[in-house]
Amino acid sequence: MEFVTILMQALRSPIAAVLFSALIIRAAPTFAAQNATRAVRDEVGRAITVPAEVKRIVSLAPNLTETVYALGLEDLLVGDTNFCDTPEAAKSKPHVGDPQNPNIEAVVALHPDLVLATTSINRPETADALKRLGIPVYTTDPHTVRAMLDSTSHIAEMMGAAQQGEILVGKLQQRLDALHARLSDRPMVHVLFIVWLDPLQSIGQGTFIADALRWAGAESAITSDQPWPHLSIEEVVRVQPDYIVFAENHLGATTDELADLRVRPVWRDLDAVETGHVLNISEEIERPSPGLVGVIEQLARDVHPEAFSAAKGLPVVSSSEKLATLTGCAEGFTTCAR
Amino acid sequence: MSSVAGSGASSLPATIGARTPSVRLKVEQASYAYAATDRSAPKFTLGPTSFEAKQKELVAILGPNASGKSTLLKLLAGIERPLSGRIEVDGTEVGSLDLRTRAQRIALVQQESELLFPLRVWEYVLQGRYPYGKRLRFESDEDCLLAANALAQVGADPLRDRWMDQLSGGEKQRVILARALAQQPSLLLLDEPTQHLDIGGKVELLRRLRRLADESRYAVLVVTHELNLAAEFSDRIVLLHKGKCLRVGTPAEVYERALLEEVFEAPLDVEIRAGGRPRVILGANFGT
Amino acid sequence: MRPLTPKRVAWICLGLGLVLFGAAVISLRIGAYPISVVDIVKTLFSGILGRWDSIPTEHRSIVFDVRLPRILLAVLVGASLSTAGSGFQALLRNPLADPYVLGVSSGAALGAIIALIAAPHVPGAVQLAAFGGAAATTAAVYFLGRRGGQLDSATLLLAGIVAASFLSAIIMFLMTTLSGRDLRGMAFWLMGDLASTLPTNPLPWFEALFFVFVVAAGAIYATSSDLNLILTGEQEARHLGVNVHRVKLVVYIAASVLTGLAVSVSGTIGYVGLLVPHVMRMLFGTDYRLLIPTSAIGGAILVLLADTLARSIVSPTELPVGAMTALAGAPVFIYLMRRRMR
Repeated sequence: MEFVTILMQALRSPIAAVLFSALIIRAAPTFAAQNATRAVRDEVGRAITVPAEVKRIVSLAPNLTETVYALGLEDLLVGDTNFCDTPEAAKSKPHVGDPQNPNIEAVVALHPDLVLATTSINRPETADALKRLGIPVYTTDPHTVRAMLDSTSHIAEMMGAAQQGEILVGKLQQRLDALHARLSDRPMVHVLFIVWLDPLQSIGQGTFIADALRWAGAESAITSDQPWPHLSIEEVVRVQPDYIVFAENHLGATTDELADLRVRPVWRDLDAVETGHVLNISEEIERPSPGLVGVIEQLARDVHPEAFSAAKGLPVVSSSEKLATLTGCAEGFTTCAR
Repeated sequence: MSSVAGSGASSLPATIGARTPSVRLKVEQASYAYAATDRSAPKFTLGPTSFEAKQKELVAILGPNASGKSTLLKLLAGIERPLSGRIEVDGTEVGSLDLRTRAQRIALVQQESELLFPLRVWEYVLQGRYPYGKRLRFESDEDCLLAANALAQVGADPLRDRWMDQLSGGEKQRVILARALAQQPSLLLLDEPTQHLDIGGKVELLRRLRRLADESRYAVLVVTHELNLAAEFSDRIVLLHKGKCLRVGTPAEVYERALLEEVFEAPLDVEIRAGGRPRVILGANFGT
Repeated sequence: MRPLTPKRVAWICLGLGLVLFGAAVISLRIGAYPISVVDIVKTLFSGILGRWDSIPTEHRSIVFDVRLPRILLAVLVGASLSTAGSGFQALLRNPLADPYVLGVSSGAALGAIIALIAAPHVPGAVQLAAFGGAAATTAAVYFLGRRGGQLDSATLLLAGIVAASFLSAIIMFLMTTLSGRDLRGMAFWLMGDLASTLPTNPLPWFEALFFVFVVAAGAIYATSSDLNLILTGEQEARHLGVNVHRVKLVVYIAASVLTGLAVSVSGTIGYVGLLVPHVMRMLFGTDYRLLIPTSAIGGAILVLLADTLARSIVSPTELPVGAMTALAGAPVFIYLMRRRMR
């Protein structure tokens, strides 16, 4: 009796409350670690402990959500972000907030075995916070398309779907290799990829997008090592890119970019604008996900039409066709989203 | 000499060389009150007051604190309009003058604000010429001459190129006075100018004001509570008490012992010195 | 006694004007596109003579569509901000006052963001909305900053600071709704950007901008004698015949118009309105009849040089102009503050 009284009194003090909660939090991982686990190192070098059997995952980035669906593992996905809109079904999953600032409590409430994050969108603080609460976070960090494929394999393996992963990645790799072979004898086309028009912002040579463009036979005309350099329009005039490429924009509906550029001073005099070589491709180009391969293929068709002529036995697809049909859907899986 | 509350001599135009000195200021039954509405009776801070000031005269507006001195000053400067009565400068009602013309007629010397940026003395005095000419103006040679004269008149000529914030209290006051003189006013108003000065400074200032009045074409009005200085240097005194104008006249006429004791609420004695000017000292029964 | 004469004003302005011209020449020469001085001169002459066919399209583009407009904009923005700054310093009786302290720039930025979100492809929408935001903020702060029906410096300053922080909070909030890419674009604009794309027919646009500048700056200059007096004390100025109430109102509106103009065209470029009047005071004295024109020209020189630097230091990448002025401005500001202390 006395002991209980002392305990009650002790608990009333704030110091005790803090110590008590710290104990509980420390105990949490031990509860989680009851089942068999594996030690894994994620792509930013963080050591995490993943359960042998992953049953519930939360994705904190749209590209990772898409990857999960492409692997056919959407039943394991218990939560994603507000921005996860590809495929459509992802929108109806429970949301935990936006990628930059997800609601930690909402994530915890979903009791995930594993959380997927990526360096390009998520903040390390989010991963740290979740780790402190005993939830493992696997952070991907793909700088190239190949690295993205490797990520996809790792994720598949972690989730016990190694075979699906192999098949999906194999298919995607096959398509990329075929594209590469088709374009091998063609010179690289120089493009200006526009991140933002006013002020003018483009991509650096070391970015993911630059690598994706290269697979499509297009080289970014801007030689900068900064990831998102702000440019002077003079530089554009100096390099005179063959193509100007926009990626579908969040703000406002798609407009006719070419018509817009035709009336802008300086832009209207560029070779690319005068010849009408202005493209608007899907914003999936920025997304390291299976759907990217379809976008790359589409872009390759647009800038290297001769390599895809009907004479080679392949259908010619116009640039205005919707890209939904070309997301990297692994064949043979009935759970494929599209 | 005018007597209590009388309208006095008729005003004459200010003509150069006229024998009769012109009346610069004429106050006729001017009063002021706050919060005057239809329903409530106005609270008078200044009851009907009348007096005149001619050129070359030094008039002291005398009274203890809260006697209505500052209100009267505001009326004279045109800051407020009188509730009743008239205030005329050079025959024109003050309230009807536009800002610039008013600044050409009336110069007010008050406690000065702090200067924001460093300024030279001559620049400061030149500002007194602002009321003349266009709004965006560049000073003419005549302006410079008048400003130099003003500085000379107050004996501040050697200070000409000094910075304003490097002057002593007394020097600064002389410069402010010079700026007021540069306005070439008909009426020079000073609001408690001796406040921060020691006795030597006070005397020096009043002597200067006396001399300025004697040599000029304007009237000088000094608001003060310094009994002896007022008596020594002024031509006329307007005695105020609790918003009422009790008496207007020469120092000898106004300084009556009983009257002063009532106004200043202190035991006082009045002596008449040689020359007819009174002097006030603490009363014989002070301390008992 | 050597009072200021119109001649002296003219000579000093001429001298500064020559410096500005020199800066413009340098700026015309610098850029990512390689074009020699000879070619620039050829292009200029051909353009002036109307012989557009004799010059290559690219040269014409670079000189007349990229560099010249940018120089003109820099001059306009710099002159507007400095003139507004000198006006606000007199109005607020505070030498550390700056066109942005009264919240006008935050209002303009908010207008710009709203336009970017709501009507991103409508030409001129951002400029108009920015200017509208500036105008609305000016009016709101005016009504908040009155005391007894007149503009009171202390109250105005407080109202401005409150407005600025309130508007900034809204801007922050809106920016969280923007995606990463749009966010980057907006953030750059907020740091000051003179590379805004011109409308299809830029000449009337420039004419309109310069007209507004001349009217507003002229209105402030017309009060410069009044301001000299107000700076020695508002009461004293009133007794010398200055219509203090009207002068303050005119300066407030004109300076806000100038600030709104600058921000709507180029985003927020800080320190110009604060520092240039200060430096000009140190060089030429505190007389506003000289200070206003010298500040205008000085501001033009500063922004022009800052912009030239911003687009040449790490060419072809461009740095935001606001960052350059802040980097240079902050140390100069600290130095000036310490001098005053002594």
